[in-house]
Amino acid sequence: MVNESDRHARFNELAKNYGADLYRYAMWICGNDALAKDLVQETYLRAWKALDKLNDIAAAKSWMITILRREYARTFERKVPKFTDVETVVIPEDSELEPDDRAEIKLLRESIMELAPKYREPLLLQVVLGHSCQEISDQLGISKSAVMTQLFRAREQLKSRLRKDGVTANVHELF
Amino acid sequence: MSMNFSEFIRQLGAEPRSQDPEFLRARQSVPEFRRAAEEADIFEEKLTRAMDLQLPEGMMDSILQISHTPSSDTAAAARPRWRSLALAAGVLIAVGAAGISWNMNRGWDSVDDYLVDHYQHDGPGLLALAGEKTSEDVQAFFTRFNVKASSELTQIVSVIKYCPTPDGKGVHMVLNTKDGPVTVIYMPATEVSDRETLEFDGMQAMLLTLEKGSAVIIGSESQSISALYSVIHDSIIPEFSNA
Repeated sequence: MVNESDRHARFNELAKNYGADLYRYAMWICGNDALAKDLVQETYLRAWKALDKLNDIAAAKSWMITILRREYARTFERKVPKFTDVETVVIPEDSELEPDDRAEIKLLRESIMELAPKYREPLLLQVVLGHSCQEISDQLGISKSAVMTQLFRAREQLKSRLRKDGVTANVHELF
Repeated sequence: MSMNFSEFIRQLGAEPRSQDPEFLRARQSVPEFRRAAEEADIFEEKLTRAMDLQLPEGMMDSILQISHTPSSDTAAAARPRWRSLALAAGVLIAVGAAGISWNMNRGWDSVDDYLVDHYQHDGPGLLALAGEKTSEDVQAFFTRFNVKASSELTQIVSVIKYCPTPDGKGVHMVLNTKDGPVTVIYMPATEVSDRETLEFDGMQAMLLTLEKGSAVIIGSESQSISALYSVIHDSIIPEFSNA
């Protein structure tokens, strides 16, 4: 039986280790700052409630992602709207970047949001959360081979968009 | 058996940071492989940078606060829907025969549904975030809705942020009152039945109709939230009103 003090310590560890990653993940799957914050908050509320069920701390990251994905699915079961208010989407300004790089990053971000969920989600799990293909396969319940195909296609689509949009030519249009 | 170029490219596109020994050997094997790997590394760096969003200010505190908020135990339950909760447990104090009027087009089934849902998400965390806000800070939040807040209100606001409401964006505040912190949510485009009250999770709430939009006051059962009715009612007014 875990005492209350250990429980708090464990929760704080989960918050500090995965809070930022979960927010990034939530933000990229829903595209809205307010909803992403709500998803993360709800994920941690549920994690706090069920903390005693987490036997293996090494599995915490996948456990948290599973909670968040379920909560996101519930969001749509409840028909909570998909927000399109771009003002609420918080994307930090990369002031240290050169204009061309900023344009490229901006295009990449737009392109990531335009990826079909089946391509975007494995990419998020890999790039944002550092999951291996096998871990993504376990998380999404699809074969490792399918994960690899989706990751490959996701990257190809992003590269193709960058090539097609001719980043440099569009710098002034974008800023 | 070593990888051919086609296999290598597939692996590079799927898992460019793979530590598989055969893949790592292939990366260094011939110039053609090395060039492809270098290009992939550059793209990967851009991709990582593009996806690297910052955790919003105050978010970590809000998460950490969850384990110190007594009501979080119940809030974390399987998100009981307010309407079924009210019917099943009889915790609804008073909803008129006509029910709370609303103009739902954003996904919640009712204002009370929204209220419980949103408060469980955000309420306890924000209550825990103390901090004085200047009158200008507070006013700025209201300006976008073409309303202004009186100084009686702005001087007791300790936390303020934009939040979703049933009909678009609204303002979520925590007020410092003599009874302790009280939550107020301004819903600029939502209609409610004035002075309707409800209870959930040990909290009580009162809805009020404003000159422009509506609001809800949420406090604990021991707080006298009705005393705030006139303060809120008279404090959020259209920007070009003479009041």
